[in-house]
Amino acid sequence: MNKVSLVIPTRVYLLHLAVFGVFLAGALWLITSLFAAGLVPLGSALSGIVVFLALIFLRRKFTPLRWLAIGIALALLFTLYPLLYTLFLSVTNMGSGHLMAKQQALARYESELYLPAEGETYRWAAYQAGEGAYALWLIGEDGTGRLAVPGAALQAVEGVGALDSDGFPESLAGYERLPLNRTVPLLSQLSAIDFGEAPDAIRIRSLREAAALQPRYRYDAAQDALIDLETGAVYRPVEGTFTSESGEELPIGFIDTIGIRHFQNFLGSEGFREPLISMMLWNISFAFCSVLFSFVVGLVVTLLFEDLPGKRVIRALLIIPWPIPVLISILIWRSMLNPDLGFVAPVLEAIFGASPEWFSNPLWTRVAVILVNVWLSYPYFYVITAGAIRSIPREIYDAAVVDGAGGWNKLYHITLPLLLRVMMPLLIASFTFNFNNFNVIYIFNFGNPPMPNTIVPMGYTDILISFVYRLAFISSNITNYGLAAAITVLLFLLVSVLVIVQLRFTRLFKEAV
Amino acid sequence: MKKLVFLVTVLLIAVLAGSVVQAQDLELTLWIYDDGRLEVLTQLGEAFEAEYGVGVSVEVVDLTEIRNAMTLGAASGEGPDMIIIPHDNLGPIVENGAALPIDLGDAAANYLTSAIDGFSYNGGLYGVPLAVENIGFFRNVDLVPEAPATWDDVEAVGAALLDSGDVDSAIGLPDLTYNSYPIFTSFGGYIFGRDATGSFTIEDVGMNNEGMVAGLTWIEHLIEEGLISANVDWEASHVQFETGRSAFILTGPWAINRFETAGVPYAISAFPAAEEGGAPGYPFLGVQGLVVNANSEDAILAQTFAVDFLATEEHYQMIFDAEPRPSAWASIFESASDPNTAGFNAAGANAVPMPSIPAMGYVWDAWVNAGALVAQGELSPQEALDSAVAQVLAQVAG
Repeated sequence: MNKVSLVIPTRVYLLHLAVFGVFLAGALWLITSLFAAGLVPLGSALSGIVVFLALIFLRRKFTPLRWLAIGIALALLFTLYPLLYTLFLSVTNMGSGHLMAKQQALARYESELYLPAEGETYRWAAYQAGEGAYALWLIGEDGTGRLAVPGAALQAVEGVGALDSDGFPESLAGYERLPLNRTVPLLSQLSAIDFGEAPDAIRIRSLREAAALQPRYRYDAAQDALIDLETGAVYRPVEGTFTSESGEELPIGFIDTIGIRHFQNFLGSEGFREPLISMMLWNISFAFCSVLFSFVVGLVVTLLFEDLPGKRVIRALLIIPWPIPVLISILIWRSMLNPDLGFVAPVLEAIFGASPEWFSNPLWTRVAVILVNVWLSYPYFYVITAGAIRSIPREIYDAAVVDGAGGWNKLYHITLPLLLRVMMPLLIASFTFNFNNFNVIYIFNFGNPPMPNTIVPMGYTDILISFVYRLAFISSNITNYGLAAAITVLLFLLVSVLVIVQLRFTRLFKEAV
Repeated sequence: MKKLVFLVTVLLIAVLAGSVVQAQDLELTLWIYDDGRLEVLTQLGEAFEAEYGVGVSVEVVDLTEIRNAMTLGAASGEGPDMIIIPHDNLGPIVENGAALPIDLGDAAANYLTSAIDGFSYNGGLYGVPLAVENIGFFRNVDLVPEAPATWDDVEAVGAALLDSGDVDSAIGLPDLTYNSYPIFTSFGGYIFGRDATGSFTIEDVGMNNEGMVAGLTWIEHLIEEGLISANVDWEASHVQFETGRSAFILTGPWAINRFETAGVPYAISAFPAAEEGGAPGYPFLGVQGLVVNANSEDAILAQTFAVDFLATEEHYQMIFDAEPRPSAWASIFESASDPNTAGFNAAGANAVPMPSIPAMGYVWDAWVNAGALVAQGELSPQEALDSAVAQVLAQVAG
C-alpha cells in the first residue's frame, strides 16, 4: 500500500469486486441475449469490451488505468465498432430479402408447415384433463368426432356427453371442456402441440381448423441444402439466396458476404463515374462556399456592429436564425423563394424584370442552397468572432495606428491573422460538417433539380451523402444496406483525406504565425 | 457513493427483469400509423378481451418504424403481433417472410374486390382490408359550375379563366406522379402490368408507353401555355386552389379540411377522359389493412383477432363511424351518402391498387425526375420517361 498510493485498499477493492460482479452479470445477460437473437457482431464486440474492462478493473496493477478505461470502452463501442461494422456490411448483400443470419432463415423455413394433398382437415374444440394435459375433439370432413391426445392414435372414447349445436361433446369423462375465452388464451400453446400419433400428427392452424400438417422443409447440414419435402426440390445457398438446380429462388435469403461487388458496381460503372465527379466538385464547393461566406458574413457583421450603440438589441436580432429549428428555417426559405407564392419573385421582377428559377435551374438552385446555409450558420460565426476579436489586445491596434495603418491595413495585418489562428479549427470542423450537410440539401429541394439521363436518379444539388440516401433508402420498399455501407466507406475515406490535408494546412499556417 | 452506485445497479437490474417478466403477459399488440382509429380499435380490443379472454393493446407508431420492425426486426422476432399499413408497404414485408397468409374463406365476398386485390401478393392474401382511399378531381364551383368531360374541355375552361384574369393557373398539380396519375391513365398509361396470376410484374413496364407519353405531353403543353405552374409544388398548388386562384386541383381526402377552412366552394367529381366518350382517367387506389406478423409467437392469436373477430359488418360500421374513410366492406362503402365521399367514390370507380411490388419503390424517384426534366424543358416527354424506365430497371438489376 505504501508502494503506490494509487492502488486501493483491499476492503474497497472487495466492494469494487462486488459492484463489478453485478455489472458483469448484467453484461453477460445482455451478451447472451444478443447472441441468442443472432446479433453476433455486436455480441462479440461487447464481449471484447467487457473482457477489456474486466482486465482493468480486476487486476489491481491496472488500477491507475481505470479512469481512462471507460472512455476507451465507449470509444470502442460507439466509434470503432460502427466503423468496423459498416466495413463488414459493405462486403455483404444485406438489404431487402437478405436481412437475417443463415441460422435464422433456416429456422424460419424449418418451422414452415404444409398440408399434403391427401391430408385431412378437422374442426376442433379443446379439453383439459389437468394442468398442461390437453386433448382435442376433432370432427373430420365426414362428420365423425374423435378424441386426439398427444402421442396416441385418434380414438373413439367412452363417456361422451350430450353434443352441443356445433357437434362437440359438452362433457367428456376425465376431461373438462374449455370454453372459448379459455381456449383462445391457450391458442399459441395448443398450436405447438402435436396431437395424435406421428407421422400423422394433427396441429391446430386456426381457431376453426386443425389439420394433419407436415413440415415443409428440412435442412441437410451434410450437403448444406434445404430440401422441400413437398416437391422434393433441393435448394442450395447461392450468395445468400436458396436456389434450386433449375434456378428457382426462395424469397427469404440470408446475409452473406459478396466481396467487393458493391465497390465494383459503384466505381466501375461509366454512368456512375461521370456524374459522380461533377457531384463531388459540387460537394466540395458547397462545403467550401458555405464556410467561407458564413465566416465572412459573421465577420462583417461583427466589425459593423462592434462599436454601435444599442448593439445588444442588434446582436439579439442577428442571432435569431440560430435557435430556430433548421427544418423550419429551411421550409420558410422554401416558401419565400417559391416562384408562385413567395415574395422574393415579385420583388426581383419589379427591380430586375426577371426572377431566377430557384428550384429548377441548376445554377440558381445551388446559389439558393448556399444562401440558405449561410443564413443558417452565420450567427455561429458571428458569435465566435465577436468573442474572439475581443481577445486581440488593443495595444496592437494602437501601435499600428502610430505606424500609420488605416482601417484596411489593421484588418488585413492584425485582425484577420490573429482571428484565423483561433478560428481555423472551427472552420475545419464546419467544413467537415457541411461536407455531409444532409439537412439543407434534402429539405430544401431533395437534391433536385434532376440531372438528365443518369443511370440512377441524381440531382444537381445532390451531395454524396444525399445521393447515398437516394440510392439506399429513398424507396420505402427496398433497402440496400450493403451498397449504402460501401458508399459510406468510400465517403469516409474521402472525408479522411480532406481532413488530413486540412490539418497539414493548418499546421503550416500555425508555424507561419 | 459506492452504496448509491450499488443501489442504482440493483434497481436497474430489477427494472430490466421486471420488464422481461411483464413482456410474457398474454396481450396482443397492434401498431397503427395514424391516430384517427386509435379509440375505436381500443374499444374493439376490449370487446375481444371480453369475448375471447385476450387483451389487445393498440399503439400509434410511425410508419417507418412499423416497416423497420417488420423487415429488419423480423430477423429477431421483434415487433408487434399485428399492424395496420397502407397496402403499398406490403411487398417487402411479404418478401421478408413477415406477413402471415390470411384465409378469409367465404367472408372474402363481403369486401370490395379492389381492396382484396390490394392486399394480395403473388396470388395469396396477406392482410384484412379495412378502408380504401383515392384522390379525386376537385373544381371551384364558382369558377366552373359543370364538371368538364375531357382534358381538352379542362384546357379550354382554364384558358378562358386565365385570359379573363380570374385565376393565376388553371390546374393545380401537387406533383407529376401520384396526384397526376389519372391524367396518364386516361390516355392509356400505366406503371406496371399484371402477370397471369394477377400480380403486378416488372416484365410489363408501361411507364414509357404511348399513354404515359401522351399524358406528360399534355402536361408539358399546359405548362407552356401557362395553365399549369412550371414549378410543381405540393403546398403551392393547394394554396392556389383554396384562395380561388386556380380552378382545378387533383388531390385526396386529406385536403378536404383545409379547403373547408378556407371556405372555397368546391365539388369532387370523376376524372375527365382523353377524348369525348373515352374512358375517364382512374387514380391509384390505396388500401389500408391489418397484417399479422408471421414471426410473432402469438401469430395464431392475432389471426383469430383479425379473421374470426374483427371481420364482421358491425365492427366495420363502428370503424367507419369513428373515422369516415371509405370502408373496404362493400355494403358500407356503397351506402356512403355525403357528397365528398360520393365524389371520391365516383373518381375512384375504376381505381387500381398501387403496385406493392418492391420495384415500385424505385419508380417514384425516377418518375418525379422525369416530370421535373420535362417541366424544366430539358428533355422531351418520351426521352424523360425512357430514361426513367432505364433508371428503374438499372436499380432493380442492382
